Amino acid sequence: MIGLHKFTRAQAIAYGFLTVTVVFCLLPFLWVVLASVDPNASLFLSIPKGITADHFIKIFTAQKGARWFLNSLVTVGAATALVVIVGGMGGYALSRTNAWWKRPFLYAIILVRVVPPTALIVPLYKVMLFANGVMGALVRSIVPPDHVRSTMHIFGFVDGYFGLILVLSAMQLPLALWIIKTFFDLTPKEYEEAALMDGANVFQRIHRILVPLALPGLGAAGLLAFIGAWGDFLMPLTFISSPDLQLLPIGLFRAFQRANILDYGYLSALALLYMLPAVVAFGLARRFLVQTFTGGIKG
Amino acid sequence: MTSTTRRTGLLIMVAALGGAVLISRWVFSSRGVPTSGASAVTIRIAEHRQPRIDALNKSIPRIEKQLGVTIKVIEYPAPEKDYMSKLLTELAAGNAPDLFTANFDSDVPDMVAAGYLAPITAEVKAWDGYDQLFDVAKKLSTSADGQIYALDSMLAVTQLYFRRDLLEKAGISTAQPTSWKDLLDRAREIKAKTGKYSLLLPAGIDWGAATFNEGFALFVPGSKTPQLANDDGTLNLNGEGVKDIFGLYKSLIDEGLMPIEPLLGPQPWVIPKYTMFPAGDLMATTCGTWCYIYDWGKDSKNPIPDVTKKVGTWAVPGMHGGLSVTVSGENIWAVNAKSTHLALAKKVLLALSSVRATVAYAQLLGNIPARKDAADDKDFQALTELVPVLKGVDHGTFLKSAPGFSVVAEGVARATEALLRKQTDAAGAQAILVKYVRDLLGNKVVK
Amino acid sequence: MSRPYESRVAWQNRMLLVPALVLLACFILIPAGAAVYISFTNDALTGFAAAHPQFVGLKNYARLFSDDGFWNSLVVTFFFVFGSSIVGQFVLGLASAVALRQPISFRPVFNAAILLPNAVPEVVASFIWISMLAGGKYSTLSRIVGLFGIPSQNWLESVPLLMIIVVNTWRGIAFAMILMTSGLSAVPAEVYEAARMDGATPRQIFWRITLPLLQPTIFLYMLVSTAGTIAIFGLIYTLTRGGPGGATEIIGIYIYNQSFTAYQLGYGSAVAVIMLGVSVALGAIYVRVLKVQV
Repeated sequence: MIGLHKFTRAQAIAYGFLTVTVVFCLLPFLWVVLASVDPNASLFLSIPKGITADHFIKIFTAQKGARWFLNSLVTVGAATALVVIVGGMGGYALSRTNAWWKRPFLYAIILVRVVPPTALIVPLYKVMLFANGVMGALVRSIVPPDHVRSTMHIFGFVDGYFGLILVLSAMQLPLALWIIKTFFDLTPKEYEEAALMDGANVFQRIHRILVPLALPGLGAAGLLAFIGAWGDFLMPLTFISSPDLQLLPIGLFRAFQRANILDYGYLSALALLYMLPAVVAFGLARRFLVQTFTGGIKG
Repeated sequence: MTSTTRRTGLLIMVAALGGAVLISRWVFSSRGVPTSGASAVTIRIAEHRQPRIDALNKSIPRIEKQLGVTIKVIEYPAPEKDYMSKLLTELAAGNAPDLFTANFDSDVPDMVAAGYLAPITAEVKAWDGYDQLFDVAKKLSTSADGQIYALDSMLAVTQLYFRRDLLEKAGISTAQPTSWKDLLDRAREIKAKTGKYSLLLPAGIDWGAATFNEGFALFVPGSKTPQLANDDGTLNLNGEGVKDIFGLYKSLIDEGLMPIEPLLGPQPWVIPKYTMFPAGDLMATTCGTWCYIYDWGKDSKNPIPDVTKKVGTWAVPGMHGGLSVTVSGENIWAVNAKSTHLALAKKVLLALSSVRATVAYAQLLGNIPARKDAADDKDFQALTELVPVLKGVDHGTFLKSAPGFSVVAEGVARATEALLRKQTDAAGAQAILVKYVRDLLGNKVVK
Repeated sequence: MSRPYESRVAWQNRMLLVPALVLLACFILIPAGAAVYISFTNDALTGFAAAHPQFVGLKNYARLFSDDGFWNSLVVTFFFVFGSSIVGQFVLGLASAVALRQPISFRPVFNAAILLPNAVPEVVASFIWISMLAGGKYSTLSRIVGLFGIPSQNWLESVPLLMIIVVNTWRGIAFAMILMTSGLSAVPAEVYEAARMDGATPRQIFWRITLPLLQPTIFLYMLVSTAGTIAIFGLIYTLTRGGPGGATEIIGIYIYNQSFTAYQLGYGSAVAVIMLGVSVALGAIYVRVLKVQV
């Protein structure tokens, strides 16, 4: 423990300030944690008179919450995988190449990262409309009319898993490219060159040497892409309408809009569940945070 | 590419496809989607708000059996504005369900112009319920080109609802106001004698299209501009009539006769209609037939016991006399022009306009079926608040809707928003409306 | 080996980049270009224009400049960015970074607690703040300030802009703290040593030495944070939907409302083009001034 005689003024101020800041940061969470186990949860902070696990159980028995969670998991998981693969390949190429297009491409990535998704949403919607029309025509020519809708639920661009996964991936891709490129920059080329000397082709190089070497970078990119896509609100808001395809953030939001039939306990439990993967991923990715935020200034 | 690369690539593609198939089976395993591939067609219907969904669900088993289809109800976001936004984005994408309702008659002409709705004229006219439709419903459902694109299967009568019990207690006359001046004076008297808010008209942007449909539009028939839409497609927005209505709003707002703060936030009707009116803090408001059941009935948030005795209705007076009772459409069913089962969807639409289907909605929401034979239905007769209204509905007036009305509704919302925030006067509000409509629809459209 | 080694590798590099390029082109670059095109039409979600959008030239831009709502959203966005990102997050983040460099215990706990608001998804953040702010006298904030004698009120209706600044500050302290920490750790210990030996007080050290040395980091932070804050949508939309009468309608929400709630896709695109312009300008400054290593 700290001996009182060692308590300098600076330390006291630091403790004081940090304590206030921490209270400020943690206080809002108090309600949601308490409400999730409170049988009589309301919107307002109160000490629960009893503890119940009912709300959490209801998530998995009552259809909707589990459905939203699964939808989020599938789409965000697929998007993350796509980002890691495409970003992995791209980041590697960007790092190793010295072609004329390297600098413009990298500058373009920075510019793209600065673009707010809200500015893109209207034209993106039109692009997705167009793509959806094309996909719809294709599906209608293959699948019998009864199953068109169900098929479009998977392959459609508007209100379909496929389109949403692509959009989520595209939004997270620039950052991933940058992170992976940076990592490969720090990875010595000797290993690949040695493998090439031994006659390995591109695929073997990737599989046996590069992936293990770049795993930390791929992991960082994957985690940050996951966090970004998991919390994305605008994309599912605009592009998903079927209740079956609804993702967790929108489900939570819409449930909250029903002014009169609100079960705050259930919603709080759901919010905690929604929070969990993001917090875990954030914890794992902490080491790479500086990298993200400086966007490459550290080279 | 070497053969190993190609093989691995192929393997990945097969795995991905297989995964997609597996996922789709799992995703749809708990759905009622027929997997047998037999001729059970699925018709999808969009509906929003729990009471409406409950009312719809009551009729579904019967319709499914009657027509040999499977019906799936897709729940859309609840608040009216969100519902329409979502519906329109889906219609534009060609993804929308086969059947859906429009919120207001004013929404329909623009949806027709955008090509979203399938014409149902022939099917409706050949329908055995057609003769039972009230004339008002027939006129409301018919577009300017003489076709029917959406069927007003139910009607709402919108007028002024007031707390008869509280006014009598305060010694204020409950006689029908005969002019706008009379109405305003009555409102002032209410405020002076009781200190409470006296008359609420929907206003502001957050109230959405209802600002126009349940507020502004009610005063149009009795104003100097009795109709807003002309046959040549132009809109009468520059006349004295429109300015006078904004003047009415301005008086109510500036003299503190209507609540302002709740109208500036989302779902602005919740506090005034579900809290203030039942508690007696607001004495009169515009409302529709649904209010007796949905807003203040026994299942509502703050029920008013004995509601038909305690809450009376006034017709909307004209500016210098005359009375109007505005009838507007409810459960305005339409068929998606891009539906893959047009014929069947139309049949379902007609089934949803049957007596039993509409009475189910009447029970939970309080609007009236647009059919004369509903009066003979036992379940409807049990809804005593609505029976007299059904009798008188054909005497109502209605506002002709036209393409561009969505824009007019938004313009009125913006103009009244400026009034709510005390930023302008009646002429200024009219200027806002005219500018907005001109900006969006072109200068020539506004007369 | 039919081709020389270098050109094969070059071709492979290009192929590896193709999927990334396709994704970025389809979902970011093409929409960015399409925004410009759509902004010159009267495209809408309903009405005649929905089926037959027409070219209207600069009309949407003309409407922009005379629209109160647009200017209002710019003002709101300005205050929002300035209050939460430039002032709130920065001050608290810098202070936290400095405080955590003191020899104190429980450092990981403090660190984790400050990081938590940033880790949770936007919707959860706004959900828990609704409990803090909504409900008049029952809201947590009302109860707290009640102890200081401030009357309880509907915070989101009486001081909405201030509230969203507070919420965003709360959310972004971690970001500033992390950047400032890395900036502070780049200052060599000898500099402090030398200053202390010259007799400088801690205050003088901070203002005359630390801050100037932190300048590049601070500048970087301001730039990235501004760009990020301008892009915020979900956090505020779920909290206030744009606030009572547009009081919290930041530019992202304004675009969404104009496009999907008022159905004007052409007009929304025009506003989006302006937003794109601002962002690209920010990005260009970022690239040029900071001499990013590629």
